[in-house]
Amino acid sequence: MKGKHRLRSLFGGFVVLVITALVVSQVWASIFDNDGKPLTTLSPRGQYAQTIQNLVSPVFIIAGVILVLVMGAVLYIAFRFRERPDEDEIPAQLHGNTVLEIGWTLAPAAILLVVAVLTVATIADLEAREPDAMKVQVEGQQWWWAFRYDLNDDGVYDDPENDLITATELVIPEDTVVEIYTTGNDVIHSYWIPELNGKKDAVPGMRNFWKIQADEPGVYRGQCTEFCGLSHANMRMLVRALPRAEYNAWLANQLEPAVEPEEGSLAAEGKDVYLNQLCSSCHLIRGVNDEKVADPESGVESLLVSGIAPDLTHFSSRGTFAGSIFNSHYPDKPGATPEEVAACRAGENVAQNCGDPEDEALPGNPANPAYNVDLEDWLRDPTVMKPMAADDGRGMPNLGLGEDQIDALVAYLNSLK
Amino acid sequence: MASSTAPDLFAPMPDLDVAHGGPGYPTNTGISNTKLAMWLFLGSDCLLFGGLITTFLLYKDPLPGTGPGTDLFDIPFTSVSSFVLLMSSLTMVLAVAAIEKGDLRGNRIWLAATAGLGAIFISGQIYEFNAFYEEGLGYTTNRFSSAFYTLTGFHGVHVTAGIIMLLSLVWFSFRGMLNQERAEAVETVGLYWHFVDVVWIVIFAIVYLIPVAS
Amino acid sequence: MALTEAEPLALPSGEPAAANDSPLGVFTRPRTATGWRSWISTVDHKKIGILYGATAIFFLIVGGLEALLIRAQLWAPRSTLLSAENYNEVFTMHGTTMVFLVVMPIGAAFANYLIPLQIGARDVAFPRMNALSYWCFLAGGIFLNSSWLLGGGADGGWFMYAPNNGVQFSPTHGIDFWVLGLIMTGIASTVGSINLIVTVLNMRAPGMTLMKMPIFTWMTLVTQFLLVFALPVITVALFLLMFDRLFDANFFDVSQGGSPLLWEHLFWIFGHPEVYLMILPSFGLVSDMLPVFSRKPIFGYPFIVFSGVAIGFMGWGVWAHHMFVSGIGPVSVTVFSLTTMFIAVPTGVKILNWTATMWGGRLRFDTPMLFSIGLITMFTIGGLSGVSHAIAPADTQQTDTYYIVAHFHYVLFGGAFFGFMGGFYFYWPKVFGYRLNESLGKWNFWVMLLGFNLTFGPMHILGLQGMSRRIYTYDAGYGFELWNKIATIGAFTLATSVAMFIFNIFWSKKKAKDLPPPGPDPWDARTIEWMIQSPPPAYNYEPIPTITHVDDFWYRKYGETEDGRLVRIAKTEDLVQAGDATDVHLPSPSYWPLVIAIGLPFLGYGLIYSLWLALLGGLVIIVGIYGWLLEPPDDPERAHGHDHEPEELPTGDREIEPGAEPLPTRDKEVETVG
Repeated sequence: MKGKHRLRSLFGGFVVLVITALVVSQVWASIFDNDGKPLTTLSPRGQYAQTIQNLVSPVFIIAGVILVLVMGAVLYIAFRFRERPDEDEIPAQLHGNTVLEIGWTLAPAAILLVVAVLTVATIADLEAREPDAMKVQVEGQQWWWAFRYDLNDDGVYDDPENDLITATELVIPEDTVVEIYTTGNDVIHSYWIPELNGKKDAVPGMRNFWKIQADEPGVYRGQCTEFCGLSHANMRMLVRALPRAEYNAWLANQLEPAVEPEEGSLAAEGKDVYLNQLCSSCHLIRGVNDEKVADPESGVESLLVSGIAPDLTHFSSRGTFAGSIFNSHYPDKPGATPEEVAACRAGENVAQNCGDPEDEALPGNPANPAYNVDLEDWLRDPTVMKPMAADDGRGMPNLGLGEDQIDALVAYLNSLK
Repeated sequence: MASSTAPDLFAPMPDLDVAHGGPGYPTNTGISNTKLAMWLFLGSDCLLFGGLITTFLLYKDPLPGTGPGTDLFDIPFTSVSSFVLLMSSLTMVLAVAAIEKGDLRGNRIWLAATAGLGAIFISGQIYEFNAFYEEGLGYTTNRFSSAFYTLTGFHGVHVTAGIIMLLSLVWFSFRGMLNQERAEAVETVGLYWHFVDVVWIVIFAIVYLIPVAS
Repeated sequence: MALTEAEPLALPSGEPAAANDSPLGVFTRPRTATGWRSWISTVDHKKIGILYGATAIFFLIVGGLEALLIRAQLWAPRSTLLSAENYNEVFTMHGTTMVFLVVMPIGAAFANYLIPLQIGARDVAFPRMNALSYWCFLAGGIFLNSSWLLGGGADGGWFMYAPNNGVQFSPTHGIDFWVLGLIMTGIASTVGSINLIVTVLNMRAPGMTLMKMPIFTWMTLVTQFLLVFALPVITVALFLLMFDRLFDANFFDVSQGGSPLLWEHLFWIFGHPEVYLMILPSFGLVSDMLPVFSRKPIFGYPFIVFSGVAIGFMGWGVWAHHMFVSGIGPVSVTVFSLTTMFIAVPTGVKILNWTATMWGGRLRFDTPMLFSIGLITMFTIGGLSGVSHAIAPADTQQTDTYYIVAHFHYVLFGGAFFGFMGGFYFYWPKVFGYRLNESLGKWNFWVMLLGFNLTFGPMHILGLQGMSRRIYTYDAGYGFELWNKIATIGAFTLATSVAMFIFNIFWSKKKAKDLPPPGPDPWDARTIEWMIQSPPPAYNYEPIPTITHVDDFWYRKYGETEDGRLVRIAKTEDLVQAGDATDVHLPSPSYWPLVIAIGLPFLGYGLIYSLWLALLGGLVIIVGIYGWLLEPPDDPERAHGHDHEPEELPTGDREIEPGAEPLPTRDKEVETVG
C-alpha cells in the first residue's frame, strides 16, 4: 500500500517535472528565439544596439540572481518560520540590527555604483558625434516618415538642389554610421529601429541627435513608439541597408526627377489622374508638380504643393507604402534559393518564387515585380485601410476614384522607379 | 476655478481633548491647526506660482513677427501699483495688531484699508491689461502674451480672493463674530495676504524688471 | 486648485449671531446619524473613509472593464472589436481611472479611516474639509466619466503629451473633460492632504512622538507631503492646457514657439512623485501587517521610516527618466539615470527589512499575510525591471514598449494593489464588524496572483520583443500572438479574482449573522486601533490613550516574566475601551461640502458648453462657501457619542501569566517633535 503510494507520487512528480520542463523550454525558446520577430530588441544587428545589449545583459543576469535570492529567501523563511501547532512561544521581539541594515543599504548601492559607471560610459558612447557620418533628418508626421539627406553636409536639409527628400523607407549604406536628426511636423513621434539602436523622440520644434549603423545589408523594421494619435499603431518604419555600390546607384537614381511615362500609355493616363484628381495638391513628384511661385511681396519662392503627404517621385523604388504597413512589391521568399530570387525578380511565377505579400512582416522588395492589390484598395478608399482623420487634414481622404482611374494611377506609380 | 476649496481653516474642534488643537488648544507642534494648514497651502501655492513663472521665463520672448513683447511695459506705472500692494501689507499688520489688542473698530478700519489698497492694485492691473490690449497684445497674440496674462492673471485672482476674504472679515466683524479671541482668523488671512504680496515682488522682478533691464 | 482661495472663516461655537439652524435658510443642520442623509452630510473620518473606499471600488470595476476591453482587443492580430478611436479612448481612461480614481482614493480611504485611529485622535483636523475633499473627488470622477456619454473620452493617453492634446489633434471634448475632471480631483487631493498633514503633525495622542507612529501613518504622511507639492505642478499644466484648448492660448502651439517638452516636464515633475504616493500607503499597510502575522515588531523601524522619507525626497529628483528619449540632452540623461538608479536603494532596504521581519517569527498565513508576501515578491520584480529602465541606454530600447507596461503594473498592481487587498482583508473586521471569509480570501489571493502574473509577466517578453505601447492592434508575423493571448487569459483571471473579492464582501456579510463577532482584536494586532470596538464608536477613543511604545497595544498585552520569557500580561477585554462614553462632543454633520462639490461639475460643463452654466456653478460654489462659513460649526445639542452595550468579546486569548511585568520603554526610540 505504502509502496504503491510512493510509486504513484514518484510518477506524479515525474509527470510534473516533464510538464514543467516542456513549458519552461517552450517559454525559453519563445523568449530567445529571434526568428520571425523583426522588432526584437534582443538581436542586435548594428554596433549601437550591440553596445546597449552588452550593457544590459549582465544587468539582467544580476537582476535575475537578486530576484531568485529574494524569492528564495522569502519562500524559505515562510516555510521555516511557519506557525506550528505544537509551539506556543512568543518569538523574540527583535527590533532590528543596525550593522546588518547598513550593510544591506550599502550592498545594493555598491552594485548600482558599478552599473552607474558603465551606464555613464555607454551614454557617452551613444551620444558621441561621428565627424564623417552621413546625416539624415528624420521627420515624423501623422502617420508616416519623411527623410531629408544632407548630401552636401552643410547642415541645411531643405535645399532641393543639394539635398534629397524621400519618404517611408530610410535607405542607408551598410556598415556606415548614419547620424539622424529626428523632428516632428505635427505631434511627437518616436523613431525606433530596435535591431540597430534604441529610440529617439521626434519632437516638433526640436532636432534630436541619434545614430544608426547596420553591420549587414538587409531590411530592419521599426514601430513608432510615442503615442501619436489615431493611427499610432499603423506608423511603422523601415530601414533598407544596401551594399555600398547598390546604395550609390540608388542615390544616383533618387536624385533624378521622376520618369516621364510613355505617351499614350496607361501610366500617362495615370499621370493625368495624378494631376487632376487632387493627388497633386498634397503629394509631390519632382519634375511633375514641383513648380514654385514667388510671393508677390517678399519675392520668396515656395512650392505650390502642400507637401503634407509623402514625396512620390520614386514611389516604386520603395517596397512599402502608407507608413510601411502595406507592400507595393512582392517580398522576398524567406530562405529562397538564388534561383528562386532571380526568378522572382524576373517576374516568373511570382506565386512560387516570391514571398507572400499578405504576410505583414515580410516587407516588399523594390527589386521584385510590383504587388498592386493593397495599392488598389488604398486608392479605392484609404480610410478603410488605415484609420485617419482626413476630415481634419490629417491623413489621406477618399478621393472617390473610379476603377479606370485607379488602374491608371497604379500603372503610373509603378513606373516611378 | 478653485474658489471652491474653501478650507475650513477655522472650524473649531472645541469638543476635542486638550491634546487636540483647534484654536486656543494645545497641539503637538504648538502651531494651531488653522495656521499650519495655511502654511501648507501657501507652500503648495509656491509651486503653483513656480510652475507659472517657469512657463513665463520659457516664453518671455515672443517669436519674431508675432506681435509685441516686454517692450510694452510701463515700469513707472507698475512700480507705483506694486508699491500700493506692498503698503497693504503694512495695513494688514496694523489690522492684526488692532484685533490682538481688542480694538475691533481699528481692526475693521485697517482691514478695509488693506482691501482698498488691494483694490487699487487690481484696478491698476485691469488698466494695464487694457492698455496692452489696445496696443495689440491680446491673450492669444503670441506665446509671451499667453504666459504673461496667465501668470499675472493668476496673481490677480489671488489678490481678488484676498480682498473678498478681507471684506468678509469686516462683515463678520460687524455681525459680532470677530473678537479678540478670534484674532487668529485675521492673522491667518494676513499670512495669505503677505504671501500674495511677496509673490508679487518676485513676479514684478522676474516679469517686468529683468526682461526690461536686459 | 486653489486659485481664488476664498478665505475660510468660521465662528466659534455658540456665537449668538450664528446660532440659528439654517443661516442661509436652505438647510437645517443635519442631525441624523443613520440613513442616507447621514452619509451625504457626514464629517466623520470613518464614514468618509468608507465612502472613499466604496467609490474607489466602483471605479475599479469601471477601470477594470476598460482593461478587459483592451485585452480583448489585443487577443488577436488586426482585431476589430474596438476601433482605433475607441481603443485610444479606452486606454487613456483606463490609465486615468486607475491612477486618479482607484489607487489614489483607496490610499485616501485607508488614510482617512486609519490615521485618526492610529494616532489616537477623535477625527481629522478639519472634518468638513475632509467631507469636501471626498465630494470633490466624486464630482471629478463622475464628471470625467460623463465624457463617455457626451461624445467620447479623452484620447491622448493618461500622460496627455502636447501637442497631441491640442484641439487640432483631438477636436472632441474628451480632453476638456479630462482636464477639468483632474482639476476637480486635484482640489480634492490638495484639501485632503493639507488636512491629513495637520492631523498627523498636531493631533497625536499624548506620548505618541513621530518615531512612535505606526508605519502606515508615517508613509501616509510622506504621501500627503508629496501630494501637497506635486499637485500644484500638474495643476499648472492642466490650466495651461485648458487655456490652450478653450481660449486659444499659445502654450503648446509649436508654430508660436510653444514647447512640447514643457508639458512633459510639468507632467512628470508631478507624475513621478505620483508613482511614489500611490505605492507608499501600501508599503505602510504591509509594514503594519507583517509584524502582526509574524508576531514580531517591524525589523528596523527607523530604517523603514527613513527609507520611506528618502523615497519621498528622492522621488522629486528622478522625473526626467520618463523623458530619456525625448531629447533632453546627454547631461540631463546621465544625471537622471544616476538618481533613478539610487532611488532603488531605499526601496531595496524596505524589501530586505520586511523579509527580516518574518525571520524568526511565527508566521500565520491568513489572507492579509499572503497579500503582504505577494507584495514583497511581486514588487521586487517591478523594482528590478525599474532598475533596467534607470540605465538610460537600455531604456531607449524599452521605453514605450510593453516592457514598461509590465514594469509599472508589477509596481502598482503587484505592489500598491496587493497591499491594499491585504489591507482590505486585515481591516475589514475593524471597519465593518465582520470578517471576510478566509478560505475564499485565500482563493482570492491565489487566483489574483496567478491572473496577475499571467497578465503582466508576458508583457516583459512582448516589450523586449518590440511590441510598442498604446497600439490598438498589431500584425501577424511579429511574434506577438502567443504572449498576447496568454496576457488576455490572465486579465480575465484577474477580473475573476476581483469578482471573488466583491462576492466575498456580500457573502461574508450574509454569513456573519451566524458567526460570533470578530471582536476588537481578531488578529492579535499591535497598534492601538485594535484597542477599541469593531466597528469603532463615532468618537474613536474615550479616554485618549497615552502612548509609550511603537506597537503600544502589543506592549499592553504582553510583558516579561522574571526569567525573561515573553508572556501575556493582560486580556484583550480588559484593555479594550468599552465604547460606552456618552459625553464626547463631536463635530456636527454638514451639507455644505456637498453643495460646493455639486457646483464644480456645473462649472466644468459650463466651461465646455455654455458660460451661463458656469455662472450657475460658480454661484452654487459661492453660496456653498458662505453657507459653510456661517454655519454654526458645532451643535452643542447633538452629536454626542452613542451609548454602546459592551459587546461580548471572544475569549481564548493566551493565558495570562501572573506576576509578569510590562516591558520598559526602549531608550532607542528617538524623541522628536511634540
